[in-house]
Amino acid sequence: MMQYQTALALGVLIPLISFTFLAFTGHKLGKPRASYVALLAIGLSCLLSTYVLVGWMGDTPDERAALAADAYRFDWGRVGDIPVTVGVKLDSLTVIMYFMVTFIAFWIHFFSIGYMEGHSDEVDGVSKYHRFFTYLSLFCFSMLGLVISSSLLFLFIFWELVGLCSYLLIGFYFDRKYASDAAMKAFITNRVGDFGFILGLALVVLHLNTFDLDEAAANFATQFNTGTGIFASPISLFGYSLATLMGIGLFCGAMGKSAQFPLHVWLPDAMAGPTPVSALIHAATMVAAGVYLVARVFRLLTPEAQYFIAVIGCITLTITALIAIVQTDIKKVLAYSTLSQLGYMIFGMGMGAWVAALFHLMTHAFFKAMLFLGSGQVIEGCHHEQDIRKMGGLRKKMPVTCWTFFIGVLAIAGFGIPGAHFGLGGYFSKDEILAVAYDRAFNIPDLKQTDAAADDAGEHARANGQLQTANSEVKTDPAIRLASTSEASVSPFAISNSLLASGPEQGGEDAHHADHATGTPEKLKIAATLPVVPKWMFWLPIIIAYVTPFYMMRCWWLTFCGRPRDHHVYDHAHENWKMYLPLVILAGGTVFCSFWMFRDMIHDAAAAATNSPAVVAIDGEAHSIAEAGNGAMLMLDHAVGRSAHDWLKLGVGWSWLIGMGIAVMIYRGGLALGDRFKRMFGPVHTALDNKLYFDHVYDSVLVAGTTTFGFVCGTFDKYIIDGAVNLVAKLTAWFGKFTGRQLDMPVERGDWGIVDAVANGLSATMLDIGSQIRRPQSGRIRNYVCFTAGVAAVALLVVLYFDQIASGSFTFYQWIVQKTQALAQGS
Amino acid sequence: MDLTSLLNWIIFLPLIGAVVVLFAPAQMARSITWLFTFGVFLLSCALFGPFWDGSAFKGEYGVMQYETIVKWIDVGGFHINYHVGLDGISFPLIILTTLITWLSAWASWNFDHWNVNRGPKGFFALFLLLETGVLGTFAALDFFLFYIFWEVMLLPMYFLIGVWGGPRKEYAAIKFFIYTLAGSVLMLVALLAMYYTSGDAVGGDGTFNLIDYATKPAIIQMFNDEATRFLGWNFGQAMFVMLFIAFMIKVPVFPFHTWLPDAHVEAPTPISMILAGILLKLGAYGFFRVCYPIFPEAAQSLAYGVALLGVINIIYGAFCCLAQTDFKRLVAYSSISHMGYVVLGIAIMTSTGFQGAMFQVLAHGISSPMCFFLVGVIYDRAHHRDLNRFGGLWLAMPRYGSLATLGFFASLGLPSLCGFIGEIWVLLGTFNAPFPWAKPMAVVAAFGVVLTAAYILWMIQRVYLGKKKEEYAEFPDADARETAILIPMAALAIFMGILPSYTFRLMNGTIDRMLNDVIGPAMAVAFGG
Repeated sequence: MMQYQTALALGVLIPLISFTFLAFTGHKLGKPRASYVALLAIGLSCLLSTYVLVGWMGDTPDERAALAADAYRFDWGRVGDIPVTVGVKLDSLTVIMYFMVTFIAFWIHFFSIGYMEGHSDEVDGVSKYHRFFTYLSLFCFSMLGLVISSSLLFLFIFWELVGLCSYLLIGFYFDRKYASDAAMKAFITNRVGDFGFILGLALVVLHLNTFDLDEAAANFATQFNTGTGIFASPISLFGYSLATLMGIGLFCGAMGKSAQFPLHVWLPDAMAGPTPVSALIHAATMVAAGVYLVARVFRLLTPEAQYFIAVIGCITLTITALIAIVQTDIKKVLAYSTLSQLGYMIFGMGMGAWVAALFHLMTHAFFKAMLFLGSGQVIEGCHHEQDIRKMGGLRKKMPVTCWTFFIGVLAIAGFGIPGAHFGLGGYFSKDEILAVAYDRAFNIPDLKQTDAAADDAGEHARANGQLQTANSEVKTDPAIRLASTSEASVSPFAISNSLLASGPEQGGEDAHHADHATGTPEKLKIAATLPVVPKWMFWLPIIIAYVTPFYMMRCWWLTFCGRPRDHHVYDHAHENWKMYLPLVILAGGTVFCSFWMFRDMIHDAAAAATNSPAVVAIDGEAHSIAEAGNGAMLMLDHAVGRSAHDWLKLGVGWSWLIGMGIAVMIYRGGLALGDRFKRMFGPVHTALDNKLYFDHVYDSVLVAGTTTFGFVCGTFDKYIIDGAVNLVAKLTAWFGKFTGRQLDMPVERGDWGIVDAVANGLSATMLDIGSQIRRPQSGRIRNYVCFTAGVAAVALLVVLYFDQIASGSFTFYQWIVQKTQALAQGS
Repeated sequence: MDLTSLLNWIIFLPLIGAVVVLFAPAQMARSITWLFTFGVFLLSCALFGPFWDGSAFKGEYGVMQYETIVKWIDVGGFHINYHVGLDGISFPLIILTTLITWLSAWASWNFDHWNVNRGPKGFFALFLLLETGVLGTFAALDFFLFYIFWEVMLLPMYFLIGVWGGPRKEYAAIKFFIYTLAGSVLMLVALLAMYYTSGDAVGGDGTFNLIDYATKPAIIQMFNDEATRFLGWNFGQAMFVMLFIAFMIKVPVFPFHTWLPDAHVEAPTPISMILAGILLKLGAYGFFRVCYPIFPEAAQSLAYGVALLGVINIIYGAFCCLAQTDFKRLVAYSSISHMGYVVLGIAIMTSTGFQGAMFQVLAHGISSPMCFFLVGVIYDRAHHRDLNRFGGLWLAMPRYGSLATLGFFASLGLPSLCGFIGEIWVLLGTFNAPFPWAKPMAVVAAFGVVLTAAYILWMIQRVYLGKKKEEYAEFPDADARETAILIPMAALAIFMGILPSYTFRLMNGTIDRMLNDVIGPAMAVAFGG
């Protein structure tokens, strides 16, 4: 029996060994063999993760707690007095993320063996085939390390390492300018996010006094409860408290990695990397690391920070989905759809829909990896053609790719049958995120009113002796009072649409028919302080739920259906099993994980990851309240939940059909109708085609501004600072010449008295700076030595007699002051 | 075995080597130098013991290992001792010096191919003399001896640049010389002033003992007393400022930094490695050994200015990097930017800050010689350093390209490589420092990570990425010697980044002692308990 922590750590180290091995011997191993090493390594990691996953799922919560409690920590160093430990964080979140990463990475490695044969052609006589797998192994190591890190500092270290791998792999074809540009852009944009991450980290260290995630959360909770530490800080910026700023700082890192507005610009460019890389790093795992980070530090996020996150997510998901509509490069369509889906996840996290967002992360990883691999198969089959306008009709040539891709399209579109509990991953997760959004946008404002009413009513109720409180401590708080009243089942608010109508579940009541939200009184207390979410933050995601199926169907239809538009491409098209086997597996995974796999695990993870008195998470799924959350989370009111879900079912349940239908209608006859729309919406199309001008603005303001300022600094340094230095030298030289001529000393070289030598040495030395180009003469060296000696002599004199000089100069100073004063008085 | 005298051997063995080089045939000069520097490196490794097992940190601040005190000059009122010894601050720098000097000696192996008109004898003799100067400065505990070694180090450097340098070697060498000399003069004045004032304090002849300055209560009292005056100024502050200027020129700190790019551009590759890897550290070492433990109150009252200079160094240096087109000049400016973290870390006077600054000193001592050597490798082949004319070198020279990427990423501060630890420690320390201005400064300094990434990646793109160019296509990859020089530095960059605690354990003890015994009390007074 291997300890789980050991298994996970081993699974991280195996790719590192593979990386080291390939880094030194990869070029000797050559074309196919280098890839086998990497595949074997990730395969072993995947087996280990399966072992952990299976074991973990079979364990009861108590067993899990016991296993996780095993301190698997090693001292690594200390920052000042704060120790840094390296350890394995073992919980459900780690286990599922770990499994997801290894599983997908394994199949992408498998795919890459076939794909890279045609895409790593020797560049200038140097094969880069082995490099690809070397980097891939390094990436697996870094990504898995990120997932298991129990320390925020280690999370950051691995965070940067995945960034490095991303840089190296985006720039894999670095002989092409656009690829190296894209790599650089990705890294630097991420660094902007990391700048915030570092500051967030610094705040964690400063106020929570630890790097450990659990300790940090515990300290945060304590400080929240007692109003000390970070909550006592008077510092605020832009109206945000320090606690909120800490959360926003940490989130900045996520904004970089998960490419959220306004740092989203690097991800579409990152498609310059090989397609398997786009699938693995820029769709399934690394870009999801931002969401993972938010999930991990969820307990450190104040409601305001969460709100900030939700706004960023909402903006991202909207603008990127709109841009996706006009993309013609198959990978760019997928890239923008990735951005939009990441926006949904971040939005969900920000709204408090922890479970739904993470569920979306999981299912998205599977279907997006598959979609990218599908596009890779298409690109490979079509002779490196990426423009969907030149494709068409490929379903006959590559049926497996076509239909697996279609499953992916259905999954991302949110395919499902409202009413029946049936659909693919996106259907459930998006629905849940929207349900929570609905609740936050419509019910919380109601609640706020109710809350105000409750203040009065509570007083009233207590006066009438109707209030039964189980807990006298909570009496004074309106929100708790609200909960208490409903506990007593006599509350007039229990039938209102309030989200927060109840305390913990009452015994005997069927969970499915509870009319109340569940959650501990503390949860309710915080929920009452949640910022009001404006209505547009509900409507925009809803609208985008219609846009997503449209652009995905457009992409699929133009690629695989209709008549072939470019016969050169069509004739070349083919597929091979080495590449479509992973597609089939991942398609299976997409379907599979929609129903089973991670649901319970995510709930279990959520219970731990959101269990803090300082924050609130809301579970949008109305089905499994009783087992979920263990009171750590706030549940949607069933009545609300049901009504929201019913409403949403009608509202967005069929969006996939509508969106896809419109796409088919427009592109059924080829590109003609689409072009007509394009002309109709000319300016809009141009704006979207230019990615809403983000790149233009960044290039002309930020990049140009930075390089210009760099140029200004360089010039300043060269002419002003160094100019001053040279000017001083010239003046001294001139002075030396002047005194030399005035004193007119006809002294032979080598025949100098010491005092003369000082003057001459000084002038000669300075002259050298004035006329720099003369060749060295041995005689001059003596000058420098004399100069040194002279300066030393002067210094010695100064110090030996410094008392006298000091008093003398002080007297002189006093004399000046007196004279000046006298002059001033005189005039 | 008694190792007490070992340190003296380490300091003066290079000097013996220099004499040997002078009398040996010219074609043997490089081999002799290699052997001597390597031998010194091996000997210095024998010093690890007490620092590794922690026994070196048992006593208070000022307890030294391998200490030697011999009366040297004892005339009139002057008592100058030959006094050397090591603690956790000087020891890692001794190791760094012997290592980098050895690697630089190796990097000078192709001396015959340099475009110079002077023979190797003088070069290698001065090279070894330089090592003695540097090692002596790091080991000296007598201020006068420190000053002597400081000057001993100065002259060889002047000739090494001025005689064996590039086209503008004269200008660069004199600039370097005058700048450092100007600093030396200030140091000399401070040295004598401190000597006499310490005499006043103990009521007799003064002392040059650097440790006594920091630990003898009477001297501490006198040095930090408001009533003690120097030319009308507060004595402590005047001394601190003079010494600070003397050392900041060496670091170098804005605005006294312009000698550095010129010196680097003109210096031959191995001399650049020593200059960036070791000589700049002398300035930082001066802060640690002289400025801060002896004048903690002055340091505390002037902390704002020092920290501000550090932040300016970081940001201004990085911006200047963006404007450079000469490869070596860019690396030189990046040194300025990186040394800014050292200044900032010291300025805040906390445990985290000192640890970070000291680590950054060592990390930069590894990464910058590596970067300069990497530049040198292609300069040997291309005979120019114009960034805009390069391109595609990774394809032309795959092994060299991979090592170069590693070296520059270490310089960039990528986590898991050495540059990161110092930076993050300093940033976290600054953010948490007990000064009201510390947080804004940390925020500004943290922005340096973005700029650093920008100029390094841009440079990598211009030099290493892109299509293979015709003119560079035939460049041979890094040969065995070049690889052998790069490997130790690359390995150390990784080792220090992954397991920083092994580096920290060599110095943390002394840093803690210094903060607890010397600086802490002063800070406590300043912050009101």
